[in-house]
Amino acid sequence: MSTAILSLRDLTVDFGGVRAVNQVTLDIQPGELVGLIGPNGAGKTTVFNLITNSIQATSGDILFQGKSIRNKMPDAICRMGISRTFQNIRLFPQMSVYENVELALHNAPRYSILEAFVRTPRASRIEKETRQRAFELLEMVSLKDYVHEKAANLPYGLQRRLEMARAMAANPSLLLLDEPAAGMNEDECNDLIKLIRQIHTQMGYAIIMIEHHMNVVMDLCAGSRIYVLNLGSILAVGSPAEIQSNPDVIKAYLGERRNVR
Amino acid sequence: MGYINAIIILGGINVIAALGVAILTGYTGLFSIGHAGFMALGGYMCAIMVMEFNVPFAIALLIGGTFAGLCSFIIGYPAFRSRLRGDYFAIATLGFSEAIRLVLNNTYEVVGGAFGYMGMSTLTTLPVILIAVALALYFAHMFVTSQYGKNCIAVSQDEVAAQMMGVNLLRTKLIALFISAFYAGVAGGLLGFYMAYLSPSFFSITRSSDLLAAVVFGGIQSLIGPFITAFVLIAVPELLRFFAEWRLVVYGLLFVVVMLFRPQGLLGYVEMNFAFARRWWSKLTAKKDASAKGGAA
Amino acid sequence: MELFFQQIVSGISIGAVYSLLAVGYALVYSVYNFTNWAFDAFMAFGAFMAFYAISLFFMPFWAAALISIVLTIVLSVGSERLAYRPLRLRKAPRLFMMISAMGANLMIVNLLNLIFGGSFRRFPVDAAKPFFIGNVSIGRMDLLAGAISFAILALLWWFLYRTKPGLGVRASSIDIMTASLMGVNNDAVAFIIFAVTGALSSVAGVFYGIKYAVFPYMGLVTIKAMIASIVGGLGSLPGAVVGSLILGVLETLVAGYISSTYRDLFSFLFLVIILLFFPNGLMGKSGDEKL
Repeated sequence: MSTAILSLRDLTVDFGGVRAVNQVTLDIQPGELVGLIGPNGAGKTTVFNLITNSIQATSGDILFQGKSIRNKMPDAICRMGISRTFQNIRLFPQMSVYENVELALHNAPRYSILEAFVRTPRASRIEKETRQRAFELLEMVSLKDYVHEKAANLPYGLQRRLEMARAMAANPSLLLLDEPAAGMNEDECNDLIKLIRQIHTQMGYAIIMIEHHMNVVMDLCAGSRIYVLNLGSILAVGSPAEIQSNPDVIKAYLGERRNVR
Repeated sequence: MGYINAIIILGGINVIAALGVAILTGYTGLFSIGHAGFMALGGYMCAIMVMEFNVPFAIALLIGGTFAGLCSFIIGYPAFRSRLRGDYFAIATLGFSEAIRLVLNNTYEVVGGAFGYMGMSTLTTLPVILIAVALALYFAHMFVTSQYGKNCIAVSQDEVAAQMMGVNLLRTKLIALFISAFYAGVAGGLLGFYMAYLSPSFFSITRSSDLLAAVVFGGIQSLIGPFITAFVLIAVPELLRFFAEWRLVVYGLLFVVVMLFRPQGLLGYVEMNFAFARRWWSKLTAKKDASAKGGAA
Repeated sequence: MELFFQQIVSGISIGAVYSLLAVGYALVYSVYNFTNWAFDAFMAFGAFMAFYAISLFFMPFWAAALISIVLTIVLSVGSERLAYRPLRLRKAPRLFMMISAMGANLMIVNLLNLIFGGSFRRFPVDAAKPFFIGNVSIGRMDLLAGAISFAILALLWWFLYRTKPGLGVRASSIDIMTASLMGVNNDAVAFIIFAVTGALSSVAGVFYGIKYAVFPYMGLVTIKAMIASIVGGLGSLPGAVVGSLILGVLETLVAGYISSTYRDLFSFLFLVIILLFFPNGLMGKSGDEKL
């Protein structure tokens, strides 16, 4: 329990009269990759928004590395080590691919403002290190050929990869992936599975992944757990096999006329 | 010759203030319609430093700029902290500049109220302005290409995403505002010591509109665009007197037209860089190498 | 004590005029999330039209006011069509909308200045004889301005909450996309909003012109209305009215008891203080964006 990197404690949020997230409690261990699934409108993205404090929780608590982060600003939470991607991609459209990644690397500039004006050797060295690191990350997500392209001009699938590289650049210990495979075909999904697995093993992040593509979730979470969210509450937790055979889960999905693929 | 001199000096002053607005509006996406207020603060402070305390002009300019920068926090902090977007801030800048004019107009001790601060000498000469503009452009370039400047750009493009990626919005915006107000303050100091007096009427909304026009026409995320337009917008009304009257009407119309048809401005997203110079240089040296080799062979 | 009551009545009356403008800002902001910077130009335009209708064509006051309202509506709707709608349809960044609105404002105000000249004109209405309630004297125009302003606000209320087009406007203010999917005609909503706000600004311009003077830069007073709508909370209609009344009364008291010169400084300080302690205004919706 105390070793968990992230713990949600009875996390609840109301929008007007609607309870969007209801008493969600979960623990993520360092380096774990867990899935978060559920029908549309189940409150999955809301959980992410609560963790990053883009939405204020009504009650409950969020512990990151043992400390409550409920009242921290989103940027402070990011710098503490929680980084995310967005369901509807939010890159900096007019910035280049490289600059998008670079930005997250220096979200808190690493030299003083005076050094920025006179560009001391130390500042130049830091700039150079930052550049190198950005290229490494872009290489990892196979975007090295696009570094100078405007982010807005990238094809959709590559934009998703860029979002991941950007999230990694913030140097997280917990990565929140919001539907990384949305809108991808089967081949692209397979590439993505490889990429996420590589990121997971190489970087050692804990990862929470929201995903609708069941094969992606089932594949990646094979060795760990999947949380199923329905109507704001946790409906089930378990290994992919357990989830697939859980009658409540099937009912929740069928209730929405949607098959567990 | 004196006439050309005047245009270059006034244009240079406008350029310095416009670079400040470019950093704030063009790069950080914050809309100021009260930069004349910061010019006034810097100008009067600089004048007082020189005239009352015998501070050297260059240092007085820096003090004036710093003073304007610090005063900008009076509006910056409350407006940026409330997580509401640009509108608050724009309204606050307008209110701020009007409030400053009001206070200056009614303070007769030291600053001379509506009559203005008289008896200053002319310290802003052509060499002074050329050096000041060069330094202003150089430091603005250094800032916008630094990690601080890039954070500003990110904030202007998607504030929420920037914050999620760990950018401290309040701090980033306050830094941009401080630098922007600093530039305006220095420009105010230069203006006072060119005109040899300061009057609250120098710093009306019209001046703020002029500065904003320079950035809107020159282009967002560009220094060289506002640099050029800030100068042209001073020179053209000076040279074509009949245009001076109509200029604000034309600016207004152009604001709308530019937003409708070329919202990025003339040179939007064109970074001032020396890449072309470097290319030209490398071509030149390559040729020399080639000819050297050719000679050897 | 009489002076105090007089100040309060005068403050409520000027607050009522601010609230016409502030409601206009709030209405546009609640639907389109942007501040209509051309509003002060509309106000000055409305005042000028009424002024010339009376002084050149010797129209009765009510006819002049009506003409001014109609012309200002044309200007307001026209500027929406030309300067805002194309940007809105293109989903342009808010900065661009603001700049475009600023441009419309600059152009109209300075056109007024060039065509009519910058001098201050006294509005040709006899507002002299005050009422007396006991020892408290109340300006006739103060009373009229207050009464008509509140009547107009009540009418607006009825329109927004009791009629079908009003429902469309309210639905759009919650979510303009969903509203249009549900069959609310976006163009009609835009027309209504800009017609209503145009009319409001014209009435405010006329009353303000009567109280002070008619001149091209008179629209600068709209900054008070902006402050009031921020105090109330951007985009909140009740907030705009409450904020305006508070500001009107407070600044009249400051002018009466402290210094009339620093009345405008006070409204700015008031804004800063409100922002420090109520970052979303008194009744505002928070500006948080959906992810």
